[in-house]
Amino acid sequence: MGAVSAFDAEKGIISAGLCGFDINCGVNSIRTNLTADEVSAKKKELIQELFRAVPCGVGSKGKLKLTPEQLDDVLKRGVNWAVENGYGTKDDIEHMEEKGCMDGADSSKVSELAKKRGAPQLGTLGAGNHFLEIQKVSDIFDKETAKKWGINDVNQVLIMVHCGSRGFGHQVATDYLKIQEQAVKKYNIWLPDQQLVCAPVNSQEGKDYFAAMKCAVNYSFTNRLVMTQWIRETFERVFGKDWESMDMHTIYGLAHNVCKKEKHLINGEKKDVIIHRKGSTRSFPNDTVLIAGTMGTASYILKGTETAMQKSFGSTVHGAGRCMSRHAAIKKFWGGDVKKALAEKGIESQSTHPKVLAEEAPGAYKDVEQVIESVHGAGISLKVTRMVPIAVAKG
Amino acid sequence: MKYKFIEDLTSDVMFEAYGKDLKEVFENAAEAMFSVICQLDKVKPLESCHVEAKAESAGKLLIAWLQELISIVDTEAMFFSKFEIQEIKDTMLKAEIKGEPIKPELGETVVKAVTYYKYRFEKTDKGYRVRVSLDI
Repeated sequence: MGAVSAFDAEKGIISAGLCGFDINCGVNSIRTNLTADEVSAKKKELIQELFRAVPCGVGSKGKLKLTPEQLDDVLKRGVNWAVENGYGTKDDIEHMEEKGCMDGADSSKVSELAKKRGAPQLGTLGAGNHFLEIQKVSDIFDKETAKKWGINDVNQVLIMVHCGSRGFGHQVATDYLKIQEQAVKKYNIWLPDQQLVCAPVNSQEGKDYFAAMKCAVNYSFTNRLVMTQWIRETFERVFGKDWESMDMHTIYGLAHNVCKKEKHLINGEKKDVIIHRKGSTRSFPNDTVLIAGTMGTASYILKGTETAMQKSFGSTVHGAGRCMSRHAAIKKFWGGDVKKALAEKGIESQSTHPKVLAEEAPGAYKDVEQVIESVHGAGISLKVTRMVPIAVAKG
Repeated sequence: MKYKFIEDLTSDVMFEAYGKDLKEVFENAAEAMFSVICQLDKVKPLESCHVEAKAESAGKLLIAWLQELISIVDTEAMFFSKFEIQEIKDTMLKAEIKGEPIKPELGETVVKAVTYYKYRFEKTDKGYRVRVSLDI
């Protein structure tokens, strides 16, 4: 797990540093009723078409041209804006953390620079560890739960999208780190590390950050839903069927970098707290928990538990986590070799350039199987299904 | 040496940059960061942009300068390869940077932010040495 922290919602703090730079970096999972054989036969064409349909890479601009008023609407109303404009459906909204929109987002608390960076990037994947992956179900551990989420058989094809709030969220975080740097002095808060800058949650600086962070959360939920719709349209073109008949519904969409007000039991007393989850996923009882693996390895869908409420503020892991820095990975791996090794495992890969494959080489990450066994064993989330990649697109 | 990358598992990317004076270390740090963002040697200095930054100390000014450069990649939709500080004091700088409109094939990775993780800003016998971590 990355970091999970909870502070009293009245007397505590809220920290831009503890939430991180990529606000609402997260994952969406979309199911299909297609089989691995049906998709594998067209995987090369499919991943190339997806790569064209979903803009990715450094500085990638979306196909949407948002006016300032439309951007404000996205920031305030999140995926509701998307659905009203033909991206996704009400059913998608029902299957997202916070229903894809946090209340209390206030775009007047966001800098013009953040808006300028964010407006052209809605509907873009970005680069680095963000990806779009076509997966097949390899194992089902909890048939009843899997069925509830529309996962019926092994070899069923799912799609996973991992990305965040792009330059918009990065700028919101950068702006408020500066503001909270001053707040720490103003309110005389001692810090062990400069990265933990914060402000009292009920100070003006704290309230402003929370309202701006929610804008980035809503931007990111919308970003992933817009791309989800483009993925559906791509499948329609490649398979010659409409997406509803391929059952391409959202299983779930969630955040793994976020601050939220929640109630938790602390020393036997229910308390309102400001939870910061950074590199961590909400794991409330029966929550759908999506765990992204690496390019060549498995991803998982887990189920949230009561144990997580008792042990980890209703939180669990978010991914495999690196065991090698990106710089070391580039030195150790060559993109062409990584692509070839993936192909030998039957995984089609597409990237803006080979180096991103080297940076994200499976060998640069911890063993996801061990990570999942740890959280399953600890009971903070339980295994439902395991998926393995068929094809992956990276920025 | 203008800069070198340093291994640190927790940090996504960490580099040290050097310079005989503030002007040089700021220019070299910018070059180090852009070698992460794009293929520096292939980005042509065709168009220029003016950049200004302010902060309360030289150490914080370096972070403000690099953050300004991260933002300008998005706002101008350009990659940059030449960085010339025209005026610099401990608390402000003015610079001209040159590059070309973004071509996806020249991109490397998105730098999300400059962080304070193990940040160092040191004056040495030979000038300045800085250590910077990037969140990517």
